[in-house]
Amino acid sequence: MDDNGKTENIDERCTRIAQPRFAVVGHPNKGKSSVVATLAQNDSIAIAMEPGTTCDSLRYPMKVDDVTLYELIDTPGFQRPRKVLAWLQGHSLSASDRPDTVAAFVTQHRDDPRYHDECELLRPIVEGAGIIYVVDGSVPYNREHEAEMNILRWTGRPSLALINQIGPDDYSAAWEAALGQYFQIVRRFDAVGAPFEKHLDLLRSFGQLAPHWREPLDAALEYLQALKFGRDSQALECIADALIGMLGHQETARLGEFESAEPLLPKLQQRWQAWQREREQRLRGAVEDLYQHRRLQRQEDTLVTPEGGDLFSERTRQLWGISKNQLAAAGFGAGAVGGAGIDAMALGHSLGAGALIGGLLGAAGSYYYSGKLTKLKFGPLSGGFREAVYGPLRDPQFAYVVLGRALVHWYQVSQRNHAGRDVLVVTGADDHWLGQMERNHRHGLQKSLQALAQRRFEPSKRQRLIEQLEWAQQAFAQWQLQAFQTADETTTD
Amino acid sequence: MANPLTLLLDFDDQYRRDVDQNHGFLHRRDRRFAQQQEAHRQPLTVTAWLASLHALNGQRQVASDVDPRLRRWRQARWLFAGLGAMFGVAFMLGLLYYDGGRQINVTLLIALVGLQGLLALFTSVQAWLGWQPWRALFGSGRDDDSALAPLRPALSARVAHTGGLAFAFSGLLTLLLMVLVQDLAFGWSTTLQASAAGYHQWIAILALPWQALWPEAVPSQALVEASQFYRLQQSSGVSNPALLGTWWPFVLMLWLVYVLLPRWVLLMLAALQLRWQAHAALRAHPGWQPLHYRFDTPWVDTRGGDDGQAAPAPAHTVLSPLPAGTILIHWAGAGMNSVLLRAALSADPAPLQLRAGGNSSLEEDARVLAQAGQSGQPVIVVARGWEPPTGELSDFIFDAREQGATALLALVPLADEEGAALADPRLLAQWQRFVDRQRDSQLLLCAPRADAQ
Repeated sequence: MDDNGKTENIDERCTRIAQPRFAVVGHPNKGKSSVVATLAQNDSIAIAMEPGTTCDSLRYPMKVDDVTLYELIDTPGFQRPRKVLAWLQGHSLSASDRPDTVAAFVTQHRDDPRYHDECELLRPIVEGAGIIYVVDGSVPYNREHEAEMNILRWTGRPSLALINQIGPDDYSAAWEAALGQYFQIVRRFDAVGAPFEKHLDLLRSFGQLAPHWREPLDAALEYLQALKFGRDSQALECIADALIGMLGHQETARLGEFESAEPLLPKLQQRWQAWQREREQRLRGAVEDLYQHRRLQRQEDTLVTPEGGDLFSERTRQLWGISKNQLAAAGFGAGAVGGAGIDAMALGHSLGAGALIGGLLGAAGSYYYSGKLTKLKFGPLSGGFREAVYGPLRDPQFAYVVLGRALVHWYQVSQRNHAGRDVLVVTGADDHWLGQMERNHRHGLQKSLQALAQRRFEPSKRQRLIEQLEWAQQAFAQWQLQAFQTADETTTD
Repeated sequence: MANPLTLLLDFDDQYRRDVDQNHGFLHRRDRRFAQQQEAHRQPLTVTAWLASLHALNGQRQVASDVDPRLRRWRQARWLFAGLGAMFGVAFMLGLLYYDGGRQINVTLLIALVGLQGLLALFTSVQAWLGWQPWRALFGSGRDDDSALAPLRPALSARVAHTGGLAFAFSGLLTLLLMVLVQDLAFGWSTTLQASAAGYHQWIAILALPWQALWPEAVPSQALVEASQFYRLQQSSGVSNPALLGTWWPFVLMLWLVYVLLPRWVLLMLAALQLRWQAHAALRAHPGWQPLHYRFDTPWVDTRGGDDGQAAPAPAHTVLSPLPAGTILIHWAGAGMNSVLLRAALSADPAPLQLRAGGNSSLEEDARVLAQAGQSGQPVIVVARGWEPPTGELSDFIFDAREQGATALLALVPLADEEGAALADPRLLAQWQRFVDRQRDSQLLLCAPRADAQ
């Protein structure tokens, strides 16, 4: 019978009992909620700094089409472990009755406000949950935790200890030695910084706690992996749609037959820029929502479009974080891709002259495009009015700036754990990651971006663009990895 | 089967409504629909999906003749049909204008029929290639983001062919009427040196499609020879004027086969093209792939509810000056070994230092309390400020009062083991709130004296 007097269906009960549940327990403020936030991918979980902040056990089921595969339970920290242990010791006759004694403690104290937190954390364990005991590996091992560990051992439930590294110091080895005496499995886990693969490893080790938990946990891992891939490709779709909108965007206004277009230009320019920024922010929101980062604080330079349409102005370069050399190289690179076709046609006998010619053409092209945005285009005269059209910005460098910023943001969001509370600082891609892309892929991307900027992009080509962006995404991730490895080697040296 | 155009527009409308929704909601909603369809053995189609959403939202499926975006095109079709019919009548009347002075030139008729065919073909080719030379008339940027934008060439071709068909049909009716009410005399004339035999051969080729069907509509060589005329010729030179009227079945079939029929075929092709392109546009729509991903991929939820914890209560307790005391209790051994801290907490060079909490036993805690209670002096309890105060500390203070200790209790949270004062406002707040919760006027929150360190 449940609280409402309804008799629970036996199948429901079996399902409920068989399903793996894990109570994340520990001393207050050792990162229990961080671990749950990361594994449950929920950034709304409050990371308690004070006993009393996590008052009740909160359940975070992992559901696939409404079928729960496992459940994480965030619990309050131990408040009076020594008193609880004393009570248990005073009521137990032998080792065999210890689990029952713990259950009796919960039953007896369920209405006692002093033991509210202990009851909340022990109840799921008594009801069959596995134990995930979280400690802070950055502080030295202290015997004061032994009362907590003893209580947990008394429950007789499968248990795993998790050494969460909160601070910079590392006392994990001492913790491992001590925890090994109390828990079946001991794992190290950085709730804030661990990459996704480590989350899966940790969940896999949860499955090792009891043989019948392995199957649902393995199934859950497959779904989580698919979810991650799905999100990555959905993010690409979001980026593709934003690029389609942003690169081809035009602002229009009606102009009288004899009206001067001069005062209209700055107005349309402003509207165009505001639209671009708003669309970019919408993309950011969509990507964050996709990865379930709903409380993310982000710090990012506003998308700045070239003043007066001049991509080569010093200020524009500074704002975009592109050096003169990089900009020239980008133009050169883009043109060289086209020039490579000359080499291919000459079966390589042009000794690379094609690429050189293409490079020069590319750079010249960038200069050619640089003044285009300053101009308005006019539609035919109709009823005494004509349509003034501003945009799009046809220089492909703009597309790379938008794409670069989008990929930086995507990468940071996709790699970020939900326990992270720091502000997400989105920086520009300050190097040419396009170099990581294969030449033919880069060429394809270039063609698509150019078609977008010239408003010659057919909707049927959207899927092709997404595939090209997938190459770009992979190249970007590869570039990030290399940058990380280089930084790591420098630090080691 | 739903009208593909309405389906496309309906899908696009739903996509625009969904674009700002969160992914989780959309995935749950659409996956649930897919599962329901599977459970009820119903086909999983976009039409059914839209119908289910409309039903949930209490909306009615928009009929194709009501949608204002299609109404414009429908109105254009009616307008072109009306104009076509009008021009068809006028064109045929002009063509068959016969004042009795000169025969109606069949060569001119054939040329104009050919021109009609060419125009019809040009309209279709233009639509197949997606070329829109007339686009500027509608304004360059207008409706560019509409789902109908890629279908504009096909829609325009359908409108043009409707006008063309009305033109051909009204022309045909006018021809029949003229045949009925007038004695039309046809003849043929050309500047080129064409023999009647050659002309007949050419006519016979044109009449091939209906030769077997209606042999009377194929002019004989005698008729061709008899009906040649020259403009400078004063008299018609025809012995039997009734003979000239026998061209009309040929003219009728010429118009029917080379004007009306091609227009009708091309109109059907334009309708098919439109249907095919609407399907293609639906499949290329940015919402199509994500929708099918949501249909096919299980909805995975790890977040649980978003019912997070309530925000902590505001802190009221303020830091008080450290009272003069000679008894220091190091909670869980906090700052026990710091000489600097000892000096910062007590003026006594050798204060009584006791240890409680942490890994001390409850009995040891009780002994510490008894020892501290005997002095009757203020007691300073030192704790690690970066760790949250627990229920055990609260019990310890409560037990001290229970044992009759009425002296001041000063709680000193530290920032480190060396005894630095806790400065982080977030960490300090949890101690302030802890003191608030004890409701003990003799319990102070203090910091180590800075001047002594």
